Amino acid sequence: MSGATGDEQARHSAGNGPLGDVRVSLKRWLVKTARNPFVTFTSLVQPIVFFVLMAEVLGAVAGGAIVQHVGVDVHYVTYLTPAIVIQSALASAAVSGIGLVDDMESGMFEKLLISPLYQGALFLGNVLSEVVRITVQTTIILVLGYALLALKGGSLDTYLRTGVLGFVGAVGVAVLFGGVFMAYSNVVALVTRDREATVMIANLLTFPLLFVSSAFLPLKVLPEWIQTLAVVNPITYGVDAIRAFMLGENVLSVFEVTAFSGLWNTVVPAVAVLLACNLLLGALAVRLLESASKSDVA
Amino acid sequence: MSPTTTTRQTDHSPDRDESLAIDAQDVHVTYGDGTEAVKGVDLAVRSGEFFGFLGPNGAGKTTIIKTLSTLLHPTQGSIRIDGADVETETHTVRQSIGYMAQETSVDEELTARENVRFACEVYGVPSEERDERIEALLELVNLTEDADRRAETFSGGMKKRLDAATVLVHRPPVVFLDEPTTGLDPEARIQFWEYLRDINDRGTTVFLTTQYLEEIDRLCDRLALLEDGRIVAVDTPQALKSSVGGEVLDLVLAEPTDAEKHRAGRIVRRSDAVEATRIEPTDDGITVTAADAHGGVSGLVVTLHEAGLTVTGFDIYSPTLEHVFLQLTDADAEAVGAETTPGQDVPTAPEVVR
Repeated sequence: MSGATGDEQARHSAGNGPLGDVRVSLKRWLVKTARNPFVTFTSLVQPIVFFVLMAEVLGAVAGGAIVQHVGVDVHYVTYLTPAIVIQSALASAAVSGIGLVDDMESGMFEKLLISPLYQGALFLGNVLSEVVRITVQTTIILVLGYALLALKGGSLDTYLRTGVLGFVGAVGVAVLFGGVFMAYSNVVALVTRDREATVMIANLLTFPLLFVSSAFLPLKVLPEWIQTLAVVNPITYGVDAIRAFMLGENVLSVFEVTAFSGLWNTVVPAVAVLLACNLLLGALAVRLLESASKSDVA
Repeated sequence: MSPTTTTRQTDHSPDRDESLAIDAQDVHVTYGDGTEAVKGVDLAVRSGEFFGFLGPNGAGKTTIIKTLSTLLHPTQGSIRIDGADVETETHTVRQSIGYMAQETSVDEELTARENVRFACEVYGVPSEERDERIEALLELVNLTEDADRRAETFSGGMKKRLDAATVLVHRPPVVFLDEPTTGLDPEARIQFWEYLRDINDRGTTVFLTTQYLEEIDRLCDRLALLEDGRIVAVDTPQALKSSVGGEVLDLVLAEPTDAEKHRAGRIVRRSDAVEATRIEPTDDGITVTAADAHGGVSGLVVTLHEAGLTVTGFDIYSPTLEHVFLQLTDADAEAVGAETTPGQDVPTAPEVVR
């Protein structure tokens, strides 16, 4: 045995355990996030610009349609806020795979694979740092929506009617929704191993998916083919769930659920769909990660 | 590409030498497409040894180092690192090794200190020891003054040194270095050599692959020569150089065209002035390996001159590792004069591993 520089115990440290490894990985990603606020900033700017423009342009004409289809008197800013929360979460989550690609290109991925670090921690640390980012972004947008509504003279009583529960619920749904696209982005990253491809595929999806959902207008006023696509679009479920928390009403726009009461007829099925998407894409991402760790090192 | 694992087997034979830092027996690695990258490699590296691994591009150096360091599974054979089996005790092996890849692997968004701290956390270095160990490692690689600068602002040499520091946080008894100085300028390379010597002096077993023969010559206690997935020789650099035998004669031709070099090679081969065991082309002429180069050089120059080939200069010296490398591999298959006399191409067989 060699290793004159340390004692046996120091050399063969017990390790951190899986949770400790996730914490170590998360810490690294949080430091990187803080070091590079550009991503947080840019994933907020576009939704905020959208927020202001859509509130001005669509707000003037959409009010009637919203009252007719949602069934409550609600300002367009209140109606739009969940869409902006989801757009912002999407913008962050859809590029989260870049971190993985960067690690692969820099050799950090391989270096960590060869360490005693629990391999799932590589993925989970990145995902959890995005959760923190999405929580911050969602909070900012909810506050901004309130301010915009006040500026436009809307009724503040109709904003986030479910109070603290609504705030926590909106953040939770945004995180859950973000998880779907984080997993998707990591799948793209692991398949393409290319930074540009990961960014381009993310951008390619963002806008079409937003417009074939209930994000900006009630589905019933949109063409039938969009209504059909909206059923299989996770954005619809994310937006509807947050909108249910905002309005305190059942607003699920793709199918009718009556098994629960009030807003839960929207929240429960929407969360179930998002959870299923998370499990499906998350499992695929982990499988690809395991495959990459075993084979793609030569 | 994934090495196939269908025929993998683990050897638990009781007669293994537990004092070996690296003990590999009959290791084969075959990729999914059928490429057999490693074909029955045996290695026995002693604890505290500085061991070099040399071979032409594509010989399988990186595949072997990745297999030894648990990144690839051996298709067949068994490997023990510091006494632990890479297949059945992977976690223990990973805690016992440091691995430095060809590409510098540091997080450029983190500072040097943060990179080393992150490595400490990954390897579970006790928190009360971290600060002291981080400072000691930064000092070892001469990065104390730059500890709080982000790695993205570092030169290539500084990044390499930082990478090396992160490899050592858990004080591994065995360190694998895959061409660690590739891409470094000469000054940074020499500085890095000093660092490698330092960690070896502290008792760490170092397993190094490199393309630089001088690096092997200066640093390694022993080296293995790999060709086409097989180890063809293993010994100390000095013993391998001695095995080439004789002297090396560099002849500079006035008109060093390929045709003239070939003609000169044929003449030297037929000449009685020297008994050439090997003839290779150089940029400006040919190199002749011969037992009696000193005594025969004047006659050889005259013979060449009479054949219309002007020799404008010559140099005689002892064989280097480059000659060992060329002699024991097929790297010079198309070299002039490569047609060695049977029985003469390897005058003294070097010790073959195991």
